[in-house]
Amino acid sequence: MKRIHKIILLAALTLSGQACIDLEEDLSAILTIENLRTENDVVAALTPVYRQMMSVHQEPHFLRTPTYGADDITTWEAGNKAPLRVFDRFDYGSGENANIAWLPTGWDGYWRTIYFANTLIDGLKTSTAPPAVVTSADGEARFFRALSYFNLVRTHGNVPIILDGQLPTGEEQRATVLQNYQQIESDLLIAENALPKPGATRNVGRVSSAAAKTLLADLYLTWGGWPVKDNSKYAQAAAKAKEVIDMNYHRLLPINQLWLLANQNSPESIFSVQFSKTENIRSGYATAFSFHEARGFSDAFPELQFFRDFPEGPRKDATFVTDIPQRGVSAGAITTLNPATRPWQNSQRGYPMYKKFTIAEDLTMGDRTTGFRAMELYRYAEVLLIYAEAQARVGENASSIEALNQVKRRAAGLPYLTPNATVDVKTATPDEIVAERGWELAGEYKRWFDLVRTEKVEQIAAKRDAAERVKPVRMPTKAQYIAPIPFQAISTSKLIQNPEGFKIQ
Amino acid sequence: MKNNFTLQARKILIPSLLFLLLGLQQGFAQKVITGTVTDEKNEAIPGANVYLKGGTTGTNSDATGNFSIKASSGDVLVISFLGYQAKEITVGASSTINVSLKPDTRQLEDVVVVGYGTVRKSDLTGSLASVSAKDFEKQPLTKLDQALQGRAAGVQVTQTSGAPGSGFKIRIRGANSISGNNNPLYVLDGLIVGDINSINVNDIASMEVLKDASATAIYGSRGANGVVLITTKKGRKGPAKIELGYFTGVSNVVQKLDLMNPAEFAEGVNFAERKEIFSQAEISGLRNGGGENWQDRFFRPAPFNNTQLSVSGGSDTFDYFISGNINNAEGTIINQDYKRYTLRANLNAQLTSKLKVGLNTFVSREKSTGARADLAAGLTWDPTTPAFNEQGAYNFIPLKPGIGNGTANPLLVPENSIREDFNDRLTLSGYANYDLAKNLVLNISGGVDRFATNDNSYAPLILNNIGVASVENQEVTRIQNTNRLTYKIDRNPNHVVTIDAIHEQQMVTRKNNTSTASNFFSDQTTYKNLSLGSIQRTQNIFTNENLQSFLGRVNYSLLNRFLLTASVRVDGSSKFRAGNRWGVFPSGSVAWKISEEEFMKSIPTVNDLKLRVSYGVIGSQAIGPLATRANPIISPGVNYPFTGGTATIGVAPSNRAANPDLTWETTTQGNIGIDLGLWNSKVTLSLDLYKKNTTDLLLNTQLPSFVGPTIVTRNVGEVENKGFDISLGFDVLRRNDWDITSSLNISRNRNKVLALVSDEPLELGNVFYTNTFPVNPTRVEVGKPISTFRGYVFEGVYQAGEESEAARFNRKPGDAKYKDINGDGRISTDDITTVGDGNPNFTWGWNWDINYKKFNLNFLLTGSQGNDIYNFQRGRMMALGAQQFHAVHSDYLNRWTPSNPSNIPSGRDGTELLSSQFIEDGSFTSLKNVALGYNFEDGVLQKIGISKMRLYVSASNLLILTKYRGFDPESTASGSSDVDLGIDYNAFPINRTLTLGLNLTF
Repeated sequence: MKRIHKIILLAALTLSGQACIDLEEDLSAILTIENLRTENDVVAALTPVYRQMMSVHQEPHFLRTPTYGADDITTWEAGNKAPLRVFDRFDYGSGENANIAWLPTGWDGYWRTIYFANTLIDGLKTSTAPPAVVTSADGEARFFRALSYFNLVRTHGNVPIILDGQLPTGEEQRATVLQNYQQIESDLLIAENALPKPGATRNVGRVSSAAAKTLLADLYLTWGGWPVKDNSKYAQAAAKAKEVIDMNYHRLLPINQLWLLANQNSPESIFSVQFSKTENIRSGYATAFSFHEARGFSDAFPELQFFRDFPEGPRKDATFVTDIPQRGVSAGAITTLNPATRPWQNSQRGYPMYKKFTIAEDLTMGDRTTGFRAMELYRYAEVLLIYAEAQARVGENASSIEALNQVKRRAAGLPYLTPNATVDVKTATPDEIVAERGWELAGEYKRWFDLVRTEKVEQIAAKRDAAERVKPVRMPTKAQYIAPIPFQAISTSKLIQNPEGFKIQ
Repeated sequence: MKNNFTLQARKILIPSLLFLLLGLQQGFAQKVITGTVTDEKNEAIPGANVYLKGGTTGTNSDATGNFSIKASSGDVLVISFLGYQAKEITVGASSTINVSLKPDTRQLEDVVVVGYGTVRKSDLTGSLASVSAKDFEKQPLTKLDQALQGRAAGVQVTQTSGAPGSGFKIRIRGANSISGNNNPLYVLDGLIVGDINSINVNDIASMEVLKDASATAIYGSRGANGVVLITTKKGRKGPAKIELGYFTGVSNVVQKLDLMNPAEFAEGVNFAERKEIFSQAEISGLRNGGGENWQDRFFRPAPFNNTQLSVSGGSDTFDYFISGNINNAEGTIINQDYKRYTLRANLNAQLTSKLKVGLNTFVSREKSTGARADLAAGLTWDPTTPAFNEQGAYNFIPLKPGIGNGTANPLLVPENSIREDFNDRLTLSGYANYDLAKNLVLNISGGVDRFATNDNSYAPLILNNIGVASVENQEVTRIQNTNRLTYKIDRNPNHVVTIDAIHEQQMVTRKNNTSTASNFFSDQTTYKNLSLGSIQRTQNIFTNENLQSFLGRVNYSLLNRFLLTASVRVDGSSKFRAGNRWGVFPSGSVAWKISEEEFMKSIPTVNDLKLRVSYGVIGSQAIGPLATRANPIISPGVNYPFTGGTATIGVAPSNRAANPDLTWETTTQGNIGIDLGLWNSKVTLSLDLYKKNTTDLLLNTQLPSFVGPTIVTRNVGEVENKGFDISLGFDVLRRNDWDITSSLNISRNRNKVLALVSDEPLELGNVFYTNTFPVNPTRVEVGKPISTFRGYVFEGVYQAGEESEAARFNRKPGDAKYKDINGDGRISTDDITTVGDGNPNFTWGWNWDINYKKFNLNFLLTGSQGNDIYNFQRGRMMALGAQQFHAVHSDYLNRWTPSNPSNIPSGRDGTELLSSQFIEDGSFTSLKNVALGYNFEDGVLQKIGISKMRLYVSASNLLILTKYRGFDPESTASGSSDVDLGIDYNAFPINRTLTLGLNLTF
């Protein structure tokens, strides 16, 4: 018994001798990103920036919620599309409907891209990776930051400017539209020099200097229009677009080839976001632009007047589906019903569908149509049209008319570099070129911004067909030119909602 | 001694041998002793234990209180019965021994477990609620939470889900923390454990809920949310006692929802689409029995059964309790099944007169299977499409495209997806108690609580054409060591001092390893062979946390009238950086036993009266490890396929900003209590008033989402909880054949946020926000409870004649009318306001135990008053929200039309889900459990070796009185969250069960 006591005492002493457990957290499982030492480190930090930009553009109807006032898209009159109808109906403008679903998609997504880009730009300042790698990555980050700010300011009006090295406080205030433009410009002026020439890398999804110049041209074009209306910017827009044309790298594809899966990332693409069948990273375009009867979600399709006005020809055929596929599901797979198609007038929604976003669809991934085709955010046809329009606003010339004619020839199914008297024009007003942009870039998240900067929202809304199923609650005015800032952001920050917080310069 | 032990061991191993052995008792010079056991009223006590002290021989008194046992002169007979003081009688010459047992003065002499020790209930200075096995053993329970529900004042136990095996939400005196965890601390036989899932309620001897600072401050940085001390059963001295319990029964959902029939739905679709989607012929076809009743597809009667076997016993130097349990339950939602196996062995040995050791072991396995049907999407699915076509194959999509909602046939997932989740638990705790010197005791204890979960799932090709499998393994290991020295100074009985000095340390490690694979070419091997999926991913996480503590406590009893307790605990936690790591948590309490004063002796009615006051500081560190740091995001969600093929791995900056200055959350609590016993404790009352203030909240302060890192955990803000707990006990009737007792407890807690960062409201309930709603349905606001509901104020429908008023808001008759709160002539987000509160004003439980002869009726009523529920399930059923196309709820039958001027909106645009239209009163009164039993105790049973048999029928949730229109007012989708409580959306409804059970004691 004595022995047991001794053992117990010994055990007690031993235990109290072990008393000091370590109170430091074990951090060996945590990766630190303070130092970007190698090219691999830089790529790992760059990857989320790209991913985030892709994510914003992955579900087109979410991103486009605040742009439904344009005539190139409308939506289902019933079902769950109330948030889209809010903007199609112009039921906003004085703080109403800031709390609707899907409105925050673009706002949150672009800001997150900005945060990732800011962190990268900041990290690169002390990076020990090869200078060429650092310079190029810095240019990429600035391109994405610029593109994010550009789409934010075009959609919601002036936004706060948060840059690399700034600690967020929650006290941020909205800058002016002009300050936003100037910030975007400064990033792009760095990026266009830092980025590699198009085709310099086999990484088809990476940003090139052509992309930075195109975005800069688009910025100047917008700067010249509403709300800042600085006419001096049109010449800069034309010059920058011309630089891209003169790179002689990008070209136009035949219109019936352009939207095929095989031609994703073609030389017409200036910058595209990538999806992946290998990784099951899907694009929502085919789903959003197909009716339910075609196994989609009926989110977006053209307004009737827009469709009617669209010039007949190969481009219209490549843009719209007029025989709507009739599909069912059996044993988990999509089947074709009999009849296989139905004319759009008798279709479920009574509208045509967009072919450009559905022709590359994948019907083998379950019971709904989907897709994996990379999606162009900028393509060469737009560069040609920016050049044509901007030059037309300061005085058209032969090369700006040629740029317009190249787009028109291609739209007619003709070789675009060969002059053709049947389609070529000798002169064109800016309004005609804006209309041409509408046809060429229909459904591509461009039309609404064109109407805003050229102040044509009222005029186009007035043309809306009486048979249109989504009825406006009011005729739009300038109050409808910018979307409300999502309520969650307003209620958790110091930002002032539109229209009170909207400041041009 | 050794022989006895072997004998016992054999009995344990082969229980059936016991009957033989009982009949084969032999001894030296033994004679047969007979006698009668009676109570203080000279009435027979059946079933009393009669055994030889230090031996294994024993018996029970029969129905008339008579017993017979073989014993030798000089043996000591022990006679005991629950609720009575045991008696020891030395066998002399006489062969007849009649025993009269005195009842224990109820409760007062009971010893209750407190933190790091025990105390006589009469000497308590703190506030504590005690629930012992006898309070709940008459009900067929399987989970520990059930035993606490409605039985302890100040403890709110909510069954948030009806899924079999699912957990409950337990809050002690409200929620202190906004971002931190508000679960109480669970201490199982001295070991601090992570949770109480899987623990077998039949193994529980008692649970003590520590509520005030004087009771909880001894747990320092982890005591702020209250502490639940769980004590498992031990063997009692005497022969082996074998208990077998079995029950079986069936569950059903309490009530189904009122939905439109298929024909009514089709008419509603035509109305909403303003065109004839369904022809009149189709509608009359549906009226004649077409379509589908989805509720009938999702819900089913669900059988369950439970088998419990335990063996216990002991000698002077050794005791044992061994228990095994098998629980099987199906869910009332299809394909939801649950199995639990538990095994416990509690052993204690007195090695020498000074040294006692013990070991408690517990192992369990839980298995939950079946992918759950999505009720939010499923109950709103197109009722005009039958689940199966004429060939018996699934109708994957609505027969008419774009009807109902956009999901696939809601039976596909539950009927085809595989989910198999396993939880394995091993809990070991041991101690050695050594009397170092007179009144000086050293207690060394320690243990391991290891929880391993293995969650597996597979979604087959039929669902998505690719097959998606996932295997997640998680392992949480807690290792604890506690060293306690207790010194008692009791030479002068007027001044008794007890001093405890304790050192404790705990390490917790967490490992998580998730593997997913997709793009399978075959469903054959499901999740069991991930290599067959062409996309494979793994992710693993490792974290640790360590806690080092020093504690001291002094108890001082003056003249057995004044009691004083003071304690202090110093905790060091690895969760905080050096400099902020150590926290000091003191507390003090005094009690005055007024009934011991001379002037009270003249009032015999009052046998107990005690006043208690306590005050103390307690902490909470209830945030995860690494909370002070900003860790990069590494997940498939930040990878990118630069060339449209394989993705490159990305490392994204954290969504959390680092805060190296983070430290403890601190709660100060004051408590005033009174305990009263009248007429020899026939009526008892405990009343406690308390006020808690929690400061330096571990608050996830919210930066606007656009600025980048959106979360910073900071020590800011203040929350107050105040209220009272009342426990009332009555011996209603104890006469003749009747014995009726009742206990009632009422709790009120008011929760209020006193301060936040710049007193700006916070929107933290992100369970629903972003997934379902564009605006957070709840917010944390100064001056209000932690969670309040937000929305527009619904004022009905614009009626005919109100066209011009409606037009001002771009609306027309038939559209919903919302209140223009700021009167600016438009309905904007400025008109969103507080529309409800999920916190109850009162919760209560009322337990009755009625014995008449051999019948026993035991029932528990529970209730909650004054809480609101945000019924988003109904909102979606009215076709609101971004996921629903058409209404299915029968309210829609009464939709506004010019000829039916109702207040059910029928407009499609501008109708808000977040409005007071969907706020409902969630108050309820529930007949939670009721059991009617009959005790068989007669000679026939005893001849076959059964000393007691109880047969009972029981029901739970038999009756729920409520105005709430969802499945039931208790289950919510919020789970254990406190920042968005009381939200009903896709919740698993709780069940009404009917049970038949049998208990046998050998």
